[in-house]
Amino acid sequence: MATSNMKLLCSVLNKMRIDHITTRSINSPPRFRPPYWYLPKERVMSDEMLTQENKDFLEEVKQDKLNLQNTLESPLIKSETQETLQWTPGTRRTGLIARKIGNYPLWSKDGKKFQTTLLQVVDNHVIKYIPPEEFKPMKTSKVVWKEKRKLGCLLVGSETIDPSTVTKEYCGLFNTVGMLPKRHLCRFMVSPQASLPTGTPLFATHFRVGDYVDVRAKTMDRGFQGVMKRWGFKGMPASHGVTKTHRRPGNIGAGGEKARVWPGTKMPGHMGNRWRTLRGVKILRINTKHNILWMLGVAIPGETGAMCYLFDTVLPLKKLKTPPPFPTHPPADDLPLEYYDDSIHLFEEPTITFEES
Amino acid sequence: MSLVIRKSTVEILCAAKWIFRRDCRLLSTLPEKTEIVVDEKERIPGRKTRSYNPILENRHVYPEFLPDPNPNWRNSLREKMERADMLKRRSQIDIPEFYVGSILAVTISDPHAQGKTNRFVGICIERKGCGLRAEFTLRNVVDHQGIEVRYELYDPTIQSIQVLRLEKRLDDKLLYLRDALPEYCTFPLDMDPEILPEGTPVPINPVQVKLKPRPWLERWERQELKGVSNIEEHLKEKDRVRRELRKTPWEKYDLMKNYRKTIPAEEQSEIWNEVYNQLQQMRVSRKKMSRKRTVTTPKTQLA
Repeated sequence: MATSNMKLLCSVLNKMRIDHITTRSINSPPRFRPPYWYLPKERVMSDEMLTQENKDFLEEVKQDKLNLQNTLESPLIKSETQETLQWTPGTRRTGLIARKIGNYPLWSKDGKKFQTTLLQVVDNHVIKYIPPEEFKPMKTSKVVWKEKRKLGCLLVGSETIDPSTVTKEYCGLFNTVGMLPKRHLCRFMVSPQASLPTGTPLFATHFRVGDYVDVRAKTMDRGFQGVMKRWGFKGMPASHGVTKTHRRPGNIGAGGEKARVWPGTKMPGHMGNRWRTLRGVKILRINTKHNILWMLGVAIPGETGAMCYLFDTVLPLKKLKTPPPFPTHPPADDLPLEYYDDSIHLFEEPTITFEES
Repeated sequence: MSLVIRKSTVEILCAAKWIFRRDCRLLSTLPEKTEIVVDEKERIPGRKTRSYNPILENRHVYPEFLPDPNPNWRNSLREKMERADMLKRRSQIDIPEFYVGSILAVTISDPHAQGKTNRFVGICIERKGCGLRAEFTLRNVVDHQGIEVRYELYDPTIQSIQVLRLEKRLDDKLLYLRDALPEYCTFPLDMDPEILPEGTPVPINPVQVKLKPRPWLERWERQELKGVSNIEEHLKEKDRVRRELRKTPWEKYDLMKNYRKTIPAEEQSEIWNEVYNQLQQMRVSRKKMSRKRTVTTPKTQLA
């Protein structure tokens, strides 16, 4: 009896399979896989119960590191090999990380008023260069990375922060290259000849006055909005017997074959807080002391104080025609304080008068 | 009898309102109207008197140097650059002290005008904007047609701004002149400048204008205007009731609202310390220049 029971049990156990485990389908890859250099930055702040001496010591270490970084000379000055590199229209230079600090008008020499947006390039440093062979971009199912073999990845950081406010992993990213952690980190795809050594400071003079740039930034977050604000619909009349449909979208489709909501129909929803690129923005004025760029127009996305990324423009008619500072403008002390576009009237110049023709 | 009592209570209320408003508005850029001396005497001896800082008085003379108090738009570096540019422009042109209600003559260079310059005389009915965006509006009636021109204070096409009559009015904005009888804003284009003796305070013109009958551009009756005399004539009972309903008498006690509308004194003194010296130097040099000019003109005439 016992043996038969044992045999029965064995046969049941033999039939059991453990390889029948449901796994994630390969047809639905993850929607977002961050690049490998991306590491979590935010850290939960906790009270470390440090003594005053320890705190002072940490502060001292921080100051020492900061001083070391401030006294660090730009690698561009030392190396002469950079001089031999030549810019060609096909090469792609690095961009800059800037902060939008407001807008005010400038006037042209013929008395026309230009509204401008001020962008400040704050404390930009090259963190790391990853050559094209080693660079493995984020894998996505849809987009094929065409330039995989051609362009390297240049990490640029902006605004040095206190290392104790971010995670250890994020700090490690900077420690390996001997820098202090930065608040903002951005990836720029550059040609291999436009690569820059770690620790190179980038200034507003990377661009020239009169050049056109593309500005990428997040738009203002407006929350859930109706169709009138989000898509500019007209709404319906305020009176003449209209009831309860003053700001509504109205009809959203036809019947028959198309008796459904067509994909892409403009409807209410979340508005703003999206990455948008404004292309072909002209630089009218540059301050070299504070690294401020005056950009033509007020359409740069984001509110005052938002970050934005600047690139050389890709618009064919506004592309760079003459060689810009390549790979970037080296730090120099004898630069003029301000560069102005030819069309801009300087405030210290006398009043504009028109000649009788 | 009841009417009289009501009137007197209203007056008392008005006076109380004034005192309160003056207290709240200590830092606003709006021009002060009541005399300070009387106020000092009335003050209770136990109360701590606010220290009088002369440098802060610049906020009435140069209101556009103070930034917009909206914290979403503020950036110290941008404001600094803006002030530097304003001073650069001021080194080229004399932008005089003027207020809403002053009569100005502005000459601009205009490519379409004959002689390439254009001169306009009018009363300043509005002054707004901060920094390089500061602007003011002049109003005049030319050939029975009301004309308003808005000028930007730091526009480099402005050749000169001349104050023909320096005075203040009872209100902060004189937009109601659009609905007033035309004689209140009719000024001859060849008006001569009236020069005040040095050191006198800016006079306040207590004139009360008469409004034309309705329709009006705005609901003037709801704005508590002091420079209008006949507003009650044109009102119906309905308007009076609605005016009462729309009143917001609690707003003058809203300290937070007031704080948000103004720049704190510490920040103001920082700003004035930055720009005051240059402004003062410019003022002194202009004065010297004007004195020289007055001396030299007869000589050239003789020659």
